[in-house]
Amino acid sequence: MVQSDVLERLRKVILEESSVEEVEDVARAVIESGVDINDAIHAATEAIRAVGDCFEAGDIYLPELMIAGRKMERCMAVLRPHIKASDSGVQGGRIVIGTVSGDIHDIGKNLVATMMAVRGFDIVDLGVNVPPLKFVHAAKDAGADIIALSSLMTTSLPYQQEVIDVLKELNMRDRFYVIVGGGPVTPEFARSIGADGWAENAAAAARLCEMLMASGIKPPVAETVIP
Amino acid sequence: MALDRERLMQVLDRAHSGPICEPFKWDTEVIPQTIAAALRKYDLMKTCDPDNPINQDDALADRFFQAGFDVAVEVGMLCLDTQRVIKFSREEIQRGMDSAPAEFTLGEGKEKVVFRHRGLEDPFPPVWVAPLSIAVEEHLFIPITEGILRERVVDCLEGPSLQTIWGSKLRAGSPYELLAGKLQADLNYEAIRRAGREGIGMYAVGTAPTHYGVLGGYGIPGGYKPERDIVLLLTPVEMKTSYEVLHKLCQTYNCGGITYGGSWSMIGGYAGGPEGAAVSCIACTLLLYTAYQASNGASFPYDMKYMGNCGRKAQWALSVVFQALSRNTHICANSVLNQTAGPATKMLLYESAVGMMNLAVSGATSCTGPRTAGGKYTNFITPLETRFAGEVFKACAGMSRAKANDIANRLLPLYEANLGMAPKGKSFPECYDVERLQPTEEWQRIYDEVKEEVIKAGIPLK
Repeated sequence: MVQSDVLERLRKVILEESSVEEVEDVARAVIESGVDINDAIHAATEAIRAVGDCFEAGDIYLPELMIAGRKMERCMAVLRPHIKASDSGVQGGRIVIGTVSGDIHDIGKNLVATMMAVRGFDIVDLGVNVPPLKFVHAAKDAGADIIALSSLMTTSLPYQQEVIDVLKELNMRDRFYVIVGGGPVTPEFARSIGADGWAENAAAAARLCEMLMASGIKPPVAETVIP
Repeated sequence: MALDRERLMQVLDRAHSGPICEPFKWDTEVIPQTIAAALRKYDLMKTCDPDNPINQDDALADRFFQAGFDVAVEVGMLCLDTQRVIKFSREEIQRGMDSAPAEFTLGEGKEKVVFRHRGLEDPFPPVWVAPLSIAVEEHLFIPITEGILRERVVDCLEGPSLQTIWGSKLRAGSPYELLAGKLQADLNYEAIRRAGREGIGMYAVGTAPTHYGVLGGYGIPGGYKPERDIVLLLTPVEMKTSYEVLHKLCQTYNCGGITYGGSWSMIGGYAGGPEGAAVSCIACTLLLYTAYQASNGASFPYDMKYMGNCGRKAQWALSVVFQALSRNTHICANSVLNQTAGPATKMLLYESAVGMMNLAVSGATSCTGPRTAGGKYTNFITPLETRFAGEVFKACAGMSRAKANDIANRLLPLYEANLGMAPKGKSFPECYDVERLQPTEEWQRIYDEVKEEVIKAGIPLK
């Protein structure tokens, strides 16, 4: 199979109805074909962004977006080991995401995680009701760049601050950007707890992560970034 | 009506013995595929009619109900803690609905309120439960609650909710929450005493995101009373449950009380578009009444685009859901209206007018609200919008759906373009005299002007 064909197949399995196993098979075929890894990641990212655009336009709904996000994750899991050191920069970065303690709402967090995956980030989703220390340990273990905290209730907001407090206490605040979001989370609140970023919706959260990664500024940033 | 032990144990047992399902599969396959199949089976695809935000088609509402019933049977409820599905047969769901009360009361003495199943365009007055659990600062809890209770149009009390407890940050799922359950009861009682509303029924416990608030405040000495109040069981979307909710259910059983079962479905979320969200809401409502033995409650749609339900598609879905439930069950269905604009804005009142009118004519027994400014900001709730929403709700009882649809079409253009960028408005201290509990001249003038406008549009406010 010629290289352009295999890249087209990769785009198709992400864009169209297919199983994650099919995506993994095609990603392996991409590797075997000897295609440039950057081209493969570019093709996959292009496809997943098209899915994101469809969601933002209201042409598809959350389940289709989440399935596409899962396919992108699996695709990247196959491609990632083949990225050479000289290719660094082809990934958006790694994000640890979860809904904080005492809060089991997941729809917003799932949407944000998927939009981040759509933008090419590697996602470690810790789920819901995640204690502050677990965020920090997971981010450290995963070598994450960003910790993303979701909260839908005012009574779970204090845990967003606690994650930042724990990072400071463990002298790890300069290792991760911390971004916050969710229904009751306002820009004022984000600033008050010293978060590095806040976004109004899922698409903006993904843009925020790109802005932070491209900024070259070591966390914590002086002024909370709001895309 | 006390909860039935056999049904309670059946739910708990099935939460530990039902089929295993991962949440990702539930959200991305089970829910969307089952709902899509039901929409196709009952020819409901693309039936949303934004030009007529209040449905007039009884047969359509009935088809939605049948689709929702099929989905409830097919899907069941996913217990997030055990990742097992609590399934019910069609007969069990029907028995669950049959055993739900068509009428019940909350409150005591002169504050006793009758909740009764309402038909479409029913003149029987609906019940106004206020406010939704919007966070307020501790020192403002009593003044805001007293101000709201001074509004006689308010029938029962739910919120607001605490953000701190004796100055410390309230943390969900922690011992603080256990203490907050009782503290909220104490603060409510003080506000009730000041407003002269002793005996008013309460929804327990507004400040209880997990079960700890209910364990700390309900059925204990000096707390919420099982014989007068009702316990809120808010279940995660779509059609999920958890130990937290089941703990609340068990506490209600232990105390001999009654339950409110609530949830929502996002337009654009797991269920799909407005039609899918409507089917999901109906299915979820049937499951809430079956699994939680609810006396009141329902699932209602939200629009993910602006996190509210006062736009055309959400209003249409809301009308279909409540009409379907009204025509096909005898339950006392409750909705939440989620406004997006804040206090001291005209938009907040326009949103309230359309939504409350819709619920009144579409057969809702009760409504909880307002959810001013989407509940996003601390202290952004005032008595005046609570009065306005309640006045509209009661005034529209008995109105025809055709007339309500015509009025909605006149009012919606006044705000719908701003749904994604609604004005924040002003906080309680910014638009109220906190001592006298009176609105500022500006907020009062806005209220008076909008009241005049909606009367001219056809809402029979006094």
